Amino acid sequence: MKDVLIIGSGISGMTCAVRCAALGVHVTLVSPFPSERSQSVMAAGGINAVLPGGEAGDSVQSHVEDTLRGGCGLGGEKAVKGLCEHGGEILRWLESIGTVFSVDDRGRPLRRAFGGQTHKRTCYCGASTGKQIVSALVMEARRFEAAGRIERRLWCCFHSALIRDGVCHGAMLYDEARGGLEAVYADAVVIATGGQNALFGKTTGSTQCDGYAAGKLFMQGAELKNLEFIQYHPTTMETPQKRMLISEAARGEGGRLFIRDGGRKVYFMEEKYGPGGNLMTRDIVSREIDAQGGRAWLDLSFLDRAVIDERLPEVRDLCAKYGGIDVTREPIPVQPSVHFFMGGLAVHLNHETNIRNLFAIGECASIYHGANRVGGNSLLAAIYSGQVAAEEISGRTGGMHPADFSGDVERERRLLEKSMDTQSAFPVMYMRDMLAETMRKHLGIVRSEQNLAQGLSDIDYDLSIAERIRYDASVMPYFNFSLTAILTLARATVTCALERRESRGAHYRSDFPQADGALGFATIIAYDGGSYSVRLDKERAYES
Amino acid sequence: MKVKILRQQSPGSAPYWETFEYDGPADNSVAGALDYINYHDDIINADGKPTTRIGWECSCLQGICGACAMVINGRPALACETFLRDLKGKSVEIRPLRKFPVIHDLVTDRSSIHENLKQANVYIGAYQPAEDGDHAHQYAAAKCLKCGLCLEVCPNYVNGRTFFGAVFANDCYLVASRNHAEGGRIRALYAEHFGKTCSKALSCMEVCPMKIPTLASIAKLNRKKG
Repeated sequence: MKDVLIIGSGISGMTCAVRCAALGVHVTLVSPFPSERSQSVMAAGGINAVLPGGEAGDSVQSHVEDTLRGGCGLGGEKAVKGLCEHGGEILRWLESIGTVFSVDDRGRPLRRAFGGQTHKRTCYCGASTGKQIVSALVMEARRFEAAGRIERRLWCCFHSALIRDGVCHGAMLYDEARGGLEAVYADAVVIATGGQNALFGKTTGSTQCDGYAAGKLFMQGAELKNLEFIQYHPTTMETPQKRMLISEAARGEGGRLFIRDGGRKVYFMEEKYGPGGNLMTRDIVSREIDAQGGRAWLDLSFLDRAVIDERLPEVRDLCAKYGGIDVTREPIPVQPSVHFFMGGLAVHLNHETNIRNLFAIGECASIYHGANRVGGNSLLAAIYSGQVAAEEISGRTGGMHPADFSGDVERERRLLEKSMDTQSAFPVMYMRDMLAETMRKHLGIVRSEQNLAQGLSDIDYDLSIAERIRYDASVMPYFNFSLTAILTLARATVTCALERRESRGAHYRSDFPQADGALGFATIIAYDGGSYSVRLDKERAYES
Repeated sequence: MKVKILRQQSPGSAPYWETFEYDGPADNSVAGALDYINYHDDIINADGKPTTRIGWECSCLQGICGACAMVINGRPALACETFLRDLKGKSVEIRPLRKFPVIHDLVTDRSSIHENLKQANVYIGAYQPAEDGDHAHQYAAAKCLKCGLCLEVCPNYVNGRTFFGAVFANDCYLVASRNHAEGGRIRALYAEHFGKTCSKALSCMEVCPMKIPTLASIAKLNRKKG
């Protein structure tokens, strides 16, 4: 293939771009803002890789087993094997492009323990691993930009894919700076837009990740997978601004969770699960905190000052700045909060969706993490998936004669102009806020039929009025045209949660508290003109 | 509290000041205050007239992405980590970064930062680190947000056509330290686009949200080896 259009310029999108460019494919890399603003810079803790000279007894097989166990049987075995086998190679590549890893006195990457893993295999860059990787990737992408092999398009938002007869021919983009819609044709389109944070309002993640692309593509025929599996990170700090993530690195370095019972500190995780209790998988820790009333304390104050200053400076600074907390002297008040989406666009092993030439990578794709992601695997998956998609795209024959979508562009342009021609002062954000309230209330850590049904009914109401309201046109048009797809994605998510009548990984049903062996398959949901159909992927169609 | 904002509806239109009454939480950051003014209720200015929502950029809301860089009471800063309680007086004045073209209100086009680095071909290429590399400083330099605050405050930086500013110096240092073989070429670029013009006001270090010790980058690049 000659031309690829990549939507999203975080770690996954940039990796795909760099690999495509290296393999001779011309890349158009689209994002509203530069890569430094992507959610990837917020990934704090680290990246998993089994390296020579690692912890005794560790192996790729052990990494595979930890990942599959964490995913409660829903992570695809072939996919996970590929992911873990490439950990070492990916780490060496990241180092070769200049990522500043934390290293020992012989220059070898240091490793820390992370939740749900049998060995210390999470390599890291202080507590700003994502940021350091972004900085290195930006420089590497710049090399190809200077050579004209990667062309960045800033200020551009994804509007919709150009799909005809099950084949993707490019995408319609909305250019914020120029204020217009345009069709961009390509041999392949790669979606790398991150998770669907906006469904829940303010999460630990970026305000830029809203799930719109996944929602819109769903409405255009792309299948979604495992939407009910939403990771609540156990340790986030509430501030007026947002939920601040307290990296799992804090517990990886020895931090302990406790609750207060009168004047006594109760280390509830250690009492129930033993010495490693603080580093159980995130779904378990979040549920335990929820059972304790939803709040706990994370204590780092007993750690050596040097450990905090050298390995957790970002955690120290974040708590001081936004919480007024000196972590060397006092514990951090923490609550679980939405952090990561295991579900997203359903993709095959080559990261292609059910629509030919439409790929998805990074958090917006669902393939490796099953019912629960273990810490340190998201950065690995972001990079690996970008590489896999690039290899597939570069190896294919392209140059199909593009279908003509000018009529579609004109129609969408007229619709957009019509929606802007209003004196309405009602901002679309109020609709997004209503949705977030619904999702937080009805799709929390513990769910039930009754609760989910109420959520579904609320979203149906929102959907029934969404297109009848005129929205304040002084808000960026993207926010206005993205609403219906975001609501549709929310409806699909609640539908999947209703359909899974069992508890597994991050999906816990109080009315079905046990796992059901007969349901140990991925959920697939499809959309057709307003109807939603859910099935279990019993034939494992997406594991090929 | 009064919040006075220099606004501009589109890239070519005339800027104008508009004032708002802020009655939200006192412990909010400037980012929180902008969000409150925009969406707490209908947006009405201090004269009681309905107006348009204020445009500004945000992503992480925790000081690590650089999106919300703006000038607050005359000081270039990130809105998400500037707290109302720390500002003096009963009013706050906010304007967009003036060294970059305005897209809308407080949103500016900072793509010249990347364009300059691209034009100068500042990239690592083959990884050949210097044996005596300063790992801690490399880590610090790689945290640059490309937010533009260092350029906004710099007395030498005008429009980025010849002098590229501290953001450029730090990336040059990072490349030179991670690829020793490229050191000569990078130092020449550094001298041309930074070294010969920088007057060492060092205000860039005072406003840097990541506290990058740019002076150390300068010192290391000015040495023959490093």
